[in-house]
Amino acid sequence: MLNRDAADRTLPTLITLLVIGILLMTFDVRASGGGVVGVLRTGTQTIVAPVQKAASYVVNPVADMVQSLANVATLRQENLALRERLAEAEAELIAVQDESARLDLLEQIYELENAGSDLRRTVANVIGRPDAVSLVIDKGASDGIAKGQPVLDTNGFLVGSVHTVTQGSATILPMIAGQDGVAVVIGEQVGILMPQVASEEMRLEVRDARIPILAEERVETSAASINFPAGLPVGEVIADAAPSLDLLTTRVRPYSDPDTLRLVVVLAWPPDPIVAATGADAAEETTTTTTPSDESTTTEGG
Amino acid sequence: MRARTGLTVFLMVLTAVVVQTTLINQLQFVIPDLVLLLVILLALTRLRPEAVLGVAFFSGLLIDLLGTSLLGLRAIVLTMVAYAAIRTRERAEIGRVGVALWVGLLTFGGIVILALVGTLFGQGTLLGSDAVSRMFLVPIANTILAALTAGLFVRLVDRDASAFRFT
Repeated sequence: MLNRDAADRTLPTLITLLVIGILLMTFDVRASGGGVVGVLRTGTQTIVAPVQKAASYVVNPVADMVQSLANVATLRQENLALRERLAEAEAELIAVQDESARLDLLEQIYELENAGSDLRRTVANVIGRPDAVSLVIDKGASDGIAKGQPVLDTNGFLVGSVHTVTQGSATILPMIAGQDGVAVVIGEQVGILMPQVASEEMRLEVRDARIPILAEERVETSAASINFPAGLPVGEVIADAAPSLDLLTTRVRPYSDPDTLRLVVVLAWPPDPIVAATGADAAEETTTTTTPSDESTTTEGG
Repeated sequence: MRARTGLTVFLMVLTAVVVQTTLINQLQFVIPDLVLLLVILLALTRLRPEAVLGVAFFSGLLIDLLGTSLLGLRAIVLTMVAYAAIRTRERAEIGRVGVALWVGLLTFGGIVILALVGTLFGQGTLLGSDAVSRMFLVPIANTILAALTAGLFVRLVDRDASAFRFT
């Protein structure tokens, strides 16, 4: 049926491309997303992001409509639940306003000043999903977003962190797909939360565990975390677990579901990139140790 | 590959990537893999096999560059799928259903290879939390799309109105 050229250089071409692909993967692993690979990534995203941004204006309503049609059966129940939550939230707001007024009064009496610890928050739209896990947002370096900054959903639950930044866009890597664990605190115990393959649940490991962890306990980011500020809500424990020797493992369901996100909030943390960079350099300098016997240098920070 | 055909294929790849990364991946129920589908269908055209492999490689590289996965991972997976498609295309040319099933099988193979190679390179979470359902739903969606669009796609790339018309 089809008239094709039978000259076969297919196999050598395949082998060449596979070798190039494996070399690229090796470069990417060794460069940890930086270097030439990082420049290539940023360059491509800079070119494609405006197209994605324009396309998202058209396709987001279509996606919303299709999703709404798919969820039409549950909309009534969802509406009722949302109304209840709204009433609860309004009651809480009134209570908080009272407390805030009292706080202002007390601050005035004792002449206290605001410590200025509030982090800048940038709200961004999700304009694309390059693969099954990552998200592209419509805010970038020109909006003050920097690589590594924590990303939350609109309820303040932890989503992940910024992976790549261009001038007008950024790519978010959710914590459920990240390679590094998240240092978390459950009650008074500190543990590591690790992603699991093909699961939206995460695995919690607590070393030096002393007491059991119960289901529905809240999991928050720990002060020991180098990637996230302390106290961000992450998820809740699914099953009770008791320490075995001094190790405790259980499962955690993250509060945030990256698949359904349309808006995210990027935290400017560490607060000032210049100060943070200086701080990081200083930290690296302080953790660089030289062994006199072999003159080798080991860097422990980062 | 002539310049005009090259431009057509380039625009198709770009469109597939943009639609895939903006619309398709936002939907939770209908999840075809347009780029994978395009690469498989290219094997049915009169393009040189080496050109098909090259397009597959660069399409995968483009997706890798836009996402957070390891650079080159999808590139080698799409290249392998394109090679399998080139080697088996004669068996697919038996009718609309045959082409659709062939596309579905190759899509399934591609996703399995992606999961395997990804796991080998420490990217086990690449397919997301719904990896198992994705492994079956994406091939089904691609099978349906192939049944609807394969003939039109081949005629468009080859610019031959008589190509790929099953009776």
